[in-house]
Amino acid sequence: MEEHRNGECQCLLSVLDKAERGPVIDQRTFDRILINRKINELVEKHDIQWDQEVMVPHDENLADRLFEAGMALALDAGVYCIDTKRRMIWNAEELEQALRTAPPEEVLGTGKDSVTLYPRRPGDDIRVAVAGGPFGIPVPEDLFVPMMMSYAQEPLIDIIDNASLITTHGRPIRAASPWEAVACWQEKSLIFEVLERAGRPGMPIGCAENAPSAIGELASTTYGGFRPTDWHHNSFVSELKTTYAELTRAVHYSHTGCHSHGFYNPIYGGYVGGPRGVAVASVAGLILMRACYGVTTMNAGPSHPHLSCDTHPDLLPAQALAFQALARNTRLLIANFERPVAGPCTRDILYEVAALTIASVSSGVSLVECVQSARGVEVAHATGLEARFAAQVTHASEGIHPGDADMVVRSLVAKYADGQKELRKGKPFDEAYDLDSLQPTAEWERLYEQVIGEMRSEYGLKVLPG
Amino acid sequence: MQNTDWEALQEGLLSSLLNGETEGALSLTRETLSLGTEPVEFFTLCITPVLEEIGNRFQRLEIYLPEMVEAAEIVEMVNAQVIQPAIDSAQEGKSPSQSPSTKGKVLLATVQGDLHDIGKSMVALMLKVNGYHVSDMGIDVAPSDIVAQAKENDVDIIGLSSLLTTCLPYMKDVIDLLDGVGSRERYSVMVGGAAVTPEFARQIGADAYGSTAAEAVVICDRIMKHRMPIS
Repeated sequence: MEEHRNGECQCLLSVLDKAERGPVIDQRTFDRILINRKINELVEKHDIQWDQEVMVPHDENLADRLFEAGMALALDAGVYCIDTKRRMIWNAEELEQALRTAPPEEVLGTGKDSVTLYPRRPGDDIRVAVAGGPFGIPVPEDLFVPMMMSYAQEPLIDIIDNASLITTHGRPIRAASPWEAVACWQEKSLIFEVLERAGRPGMPIGCAENAPSAIGELASTTYGGFRPTDWHHNSFVSELKTTYAELTRAVHYSHTGCHSHGFYNPIYGGYVGGPRGVAVASVAGLILMRACYGVTTMNAGPSHPHLSCDTHPDLLPAQALAFQALARNTRLLIANFERPVAGPCTRDILYEVAALTIASVSSGVSLVECVQSARGVEVAHATGLEARFAAQVTHASEGIHPGDADMVVRSLVAKYADGQKELRKGKPFDEAYDLDSLQPTAEWERLYEQVIGEMRSEYGLKVLPG
Repeated sequence: MQNTDWEALQEGLLSSLLNGETEGALSLTRETLSLGTEPVEFFTLCITPVLEEIGNRFQRLEIYLPEMVEAAEIVEMVNAQVIQPAIDSAQEGKSPSQSPSTKGKVLLATVQGDLHDIGKSMVALMLKVNGYHVSDMGIDVAPSDIVAQAKENDVDIIGLSSLLTTCLPYMKDVIDLLDGVGSRERYSVMVGGAAVTPEFARQIGADAYGSTAAEAVVICDRIMKHRMPIS
């Protein structure tokens, strides 16, 4: 154990050294040359392309070439540290070691509420874990507990991820201030109350959502606070950038034995370019998050520049292919991240969620993260029901091959794609759920049942009760 | 200049901008002006529509941010090396702020505590290609620095961006500071970013809210149309 800890410590120190000693580079140059130009070269060199009609590519050779392209980007670009203005560079052996030492499985939570995540390959019928929650959607203080209860009471949700509070004890929350720490402690108190009421005290919590800087996380992941068995967050700033704050989180997680999850959002139309560039950047980003932060689960949730979603038809194949590339060539515990345009109480949200879920599970993800509804920007527009739906579709998709998933996803996309530009945000939690019973309204329940019926009758999915 | 084939000129300039051909754009501009075309006319009838087309192509995602960056940089060089000198020599004594090259001056910043940059960069580019002079202060910018820079740059519009709800109070701080120093009326403030909503914009007294880069252009056009000159 001591040797293992010493090894981890040395690895962490070497990462921090890279932030201090790597070559100095202007951020603009990093973005334009090492990200954009390099990605363009790699896309051509590795012939990363697919038929635009295809939503779930199923070409194993293409997936493997994408992995090579992603690895090449990871080696050539590295990670840019915004604070030191230096490029953190890994050699091939270091990256391969980071991948080799990824855990063969991961247990989150405790006791009866724990969940085990396993690496999967495309088409596997291994059980996929489900992280359900609003994923940081802003919510008034008085709605936090009822909203989070709507997730905690869903038996198919294995990990719960918190909403963000709009205020803390009636005061505005300011990033990188003491208020962030206050908000995170309040978040912890409230979610622990939720889990007690739901009878799931050991359920792993995605946290701390009220921590845009390291302050909140460091303040609240300690004695009496969030636990090592919870699901803590690290992230890259787009594209492939880190900060002292994120590296500080990584140090804290390493020394407190916390499980940590990395997320990275390549921006479609930004420096990564189009969908092919999104695919390459996603692969590189997940490899580099493993190397840089030592995360054990990770997701890339690319963002459409105008719609802020990741369910746009241009982005589905990019994500599916990136998942396949990583699932075929590593044992990383990769996740998707579901950020539809539509919100609760719309049919569209269910179609968007179903499309991305089926594409992701068939492509080899170990974890589905659901749902940052209504693009994550509308106050309190999230409910447990869309997460339940996503979980049901997740398990119904286990064992489906990407080639078989493609026709299903194409059909689903046809149902929602044209409507995405209308930004159908749906209804907030207190209009989509009865606040006394904490059950969906009749309207929302009816829509949900109709679409579940479609999943079964139209697509032949063996959707079990939630 | 009579009988100018503006369509051909636009096609030529567009091709140069999209292919990153700086010399091509400079040559085309110099040659056109040397044949008698007025610089303002060239800017209005060639450069402006070409930049709008570039913005439209980005909106349709036919091109991406790096192409827009490069196009904007080339146009800046064309303006600096060819158009502006031609205007200056033809209209001696005219101040730069009266140049037809600028619809207005915009200061952009991602507010304190927030490190997200790319969305704001897209707004900056869209504004530039649509005729605005843009100063971008970058990320994690303190409210006091924004107010100071707005004054120093003598801008018309302050654009604030944030992806994080916990950084929204810093947007309000900017407006409160402007009130505090008696400069609120001098600047129009527009806010945007994933964390921002129209309701929040109204609550803090912002002049406008925009949800996309294209919308930012529409907003700035509307603001500049109605903006009274500060005496």
